[in-house]
Amino acid sequence: MSSRAEAARQNRLRVPHRGGGNRQQNEELETIDYKMVTFSLGGKDYAVDILKVKEIAKFAGFTFVPNTPPYVAGVFNLRGEIISIIDLRIKFGLPVEQRPDREAECGLILRLNDMMIGVIVDSVDRVVGINSARIQPPHPIFGDINIKYISGAVEKNDRLYIILDVERILGRESEQTEAPRSERTEGRVGALAEAMAGSGPAPAGAKKVQPGAAGAAEIESGQDQYELDLSFIKEALPSYAQFYPSAINDHWLRARYDQWRRERAAANREAQFASPDEAHEFLKPFYSQDTGRFWCPELIELFRAVLPERLRNTVTVWNPGAGKGYESYSLACVLKKSYPDSTLKIWASDNDLLSISTAPNLVFRKEDLPDFYHDFIVAGTNRHSFAGMIKDSIFFEYHDITHPNAVPEMDIIVARDVLSYLRAEQQASVLQEFYDKLLEHGLLILGDNETGLDEARWQRVDGARITAFRKR
Amino acid sequence: MRVEYINPFVEAAYGILKEVTRGEVKRGELYLKSTSMPVLGVAAIIGLAGDVEGRVLLDMTKDTAVKVASAMLDGMEVEPITQLNEMGKASITELANMITGQAVTKLHNLGFKFDLTPPAIFTGDNMEIADTGVEALIVPMELEQGKIEINVAIRERN
Amino acid sequence: MRTKQDFPSINERSVSGVKEDGSPYRVLVVDDSMFVTKQISQILTSEGFEIVATAGNGLEGVERYKELYPNIDVVTMDITMPQMDGVTALEKIIDFDKEACVVMISALGKQDLVKKSLLIGAKNYIVKPLDRKKVLERILMSLQQ
Repeated sequence: MSSRAEAARQNRLRVPHRGGGNRQQNEELETIDYKMVTFSLGGKDYAVDILKVKEIAKFAGFTFVPNTPPYVAGVFNLRGEIISIIDLRIKFGLPVEQRPDREAECGLILRLNDMMIGVIVDSVDRVVGINSARIQPPHPIFGDINIKYISGAVEKNDRLYIILDVERILGRESEQTEAPRSERTEGRVGALAEAMAGSGPAPAGAKKVQPGAAGAAEIESGQDQYELDLSFIKEALPSYAQFYPSAINDHWLRARYDQWRRERAAANREAQFASPDEAHEFLKPFYSQDTGRFWCPELIELFRAVLPERLRNTVTVWNPGAGKGYESYSLACVLKKSYPDSTLKIWASDNDLLSISTAPNLVFRKEDLPDFYHDFIVAGTNRHSFAGMIKDSIFFEYHDITHPNAVPEMDIIVARDVLSYLRAEQQASVLQEFYDKLLEHGLLILGDNETGLDEARWQRVDGARITAFRKR
Repeated sequence: MRVEYINPFVEAAYGILKEVTRGEVKRGELYLKSTSMPVLGVAAIIGLAGDVEGRVLLDMTKDTAVKVASAMLDGMEVEPITQLNEMGKASITELANMITGQAVTKLHNLGFKFDLTPPAIFTGDNMEIADTGVEALIVPMELEQGKIEINVAIRERN
Repeated sequence: MRTKQDFPSINERSVSGVKEDGSPYRVLVVDDSMFVTKQISQILTSEGFEIVATAGNGLEGVERYKELYPNIDVVTMDITMPQMDGVTALEKIIDFDKEACVVMISALGKQDLVKKSLLIGAKNYIVKPLDRKKVLERILMSLQQ
């Protein structure tokens, strides 16, 4: 529910409370203004500014160039453009793990001014977002490499990342001592590149580029760009919109990402988010039908279609993320209609105090409500409200679902768009709690786009047009 | 915690604190907490029973407790207190009793049936309250004498 | 907890805690809180009442009443107390002495509790927080009934 997101946003603005355990909170409080691609070299974590990275690539079948410094591994045909490849491990004097012959090397293609250069590393890790204020100045103890190549270091998730200075590593002007040699190298590479770009034969001494290998790399690096952008988006959604990508929403996320890429490409814009507004824009199609308002007759029918024919004499329902209560009242009316002889008890909660406080006294105009509800409302002085039999069946609670949940066993749990706004580990523990609290064959309703549950434990209700599972 | 329970506690705490200290009282933003929490130094606790189970805990530093107790005892023929002696503790306990009593009375008028148990007070350095499995509403109050947190945990008997 | 002017000395005002024959009204204070006992005693003695005994719970309160009877004019009775609550103690005192003048003093002002106490035989019911005027008014009213 969007109020959960709203609450998450408000929580973030709140001053951290005293006491321990706030480290994580503090980390979340900071804004991410610096993204870096991380990788490992000789068993340590390194990173470069994402703005300097054109793409992540696998280098297979690049061409060796003679008479170059040992760290120049060769040249590579990147979609018709020839770039030189530097092995950072050799450049820094780190041990090089020998790969089995012909296996592609991991690397990054860096952008330096107008030039592109490939660098080989041990393995590329992922995109990590940090606050640039947390970057510490370079210090000799940070790495196994010359301090002049380091622009700083930053700790994140208990890992220390050495941030490399791309200009210094690849730039000519800063490499005064190596200048003559470097120039010569560049010259050679340049000449070679020209030769390769043309249709003429490769100069003597160069290995033949294996046909097909470069082509494969080309596809792979295109794929990597796709994954890199996706990982960037996944990284940005929690900080920009308090939305946490996970298996539960992955199916929607990938489909939405494809659509988003196309939309952005058509508008000639990068897929990555430039602002929180764009993250919210991205999430707009995520919200379930009738979020934050009374359920329309169509949704009521979809919900009734998944309800069991009979339930116990007392029907218990858990409705976390209840916001201002629209969903809880809708549920109460539908269930009262479906099981007129049962006693109904709904535990409705939200961690947004302002929203949930208004829920018990919700008033509305009769004409704003579909006819379905008219049996369940009473006229007040100015507005209508729900009748006692509906009101009294709902307990509205100010409650954070990640805290212990003191609810009894449930026939039905309705938690639409709630899990996706919890951190991944919290999603797992809350889902476990849903499982534990549900009676055998109990019904779990998640958000329209929250479909990825463990099939060994949850059985999707056949033919349902809402996300409905039964506990196995 | 049920939404209906919140305001009676906030109003009672605000009203009683204002009356007994005869000074400015500022209400902080409410929030929820479930982890064990360090106690500032003095904790007065009152149990709740009836339709629900739970407790109300007043948490403050010793310094605040001494100042608040002094304000409550001001005008009475007792030795001014400089540390949290028996009379000081009795004052803070009574403060908890008054706040909870008034809140429960308000709730009663709304149709919720609560009972109280006699209060207890704990003092000490590096104390921690660890009632696991309980989510508490924290109502922070800023007084001229310091900060008092009213920590309310109530759950329905199912 | 009142301001200084709430606690004037005996000499400054006419005293109302004294019977027509010049002897003071004799009071038993039953409360588990040292603070409240002190507070009530302070208000009453300043008006000439005499605190003849205090008790820290209901059970002790009933015992004291029986010991002191008939040399006792009014009892102030807390409700939430350990061992025996004030309503039960009220019941036992009334059982022993139908004419007993008992005034309930509690932070709890629940309607049914007030009603129950008055039905059992309490003369009045004071809801905290206490102030001098309220306490004196209600206790004198009870004594005049």
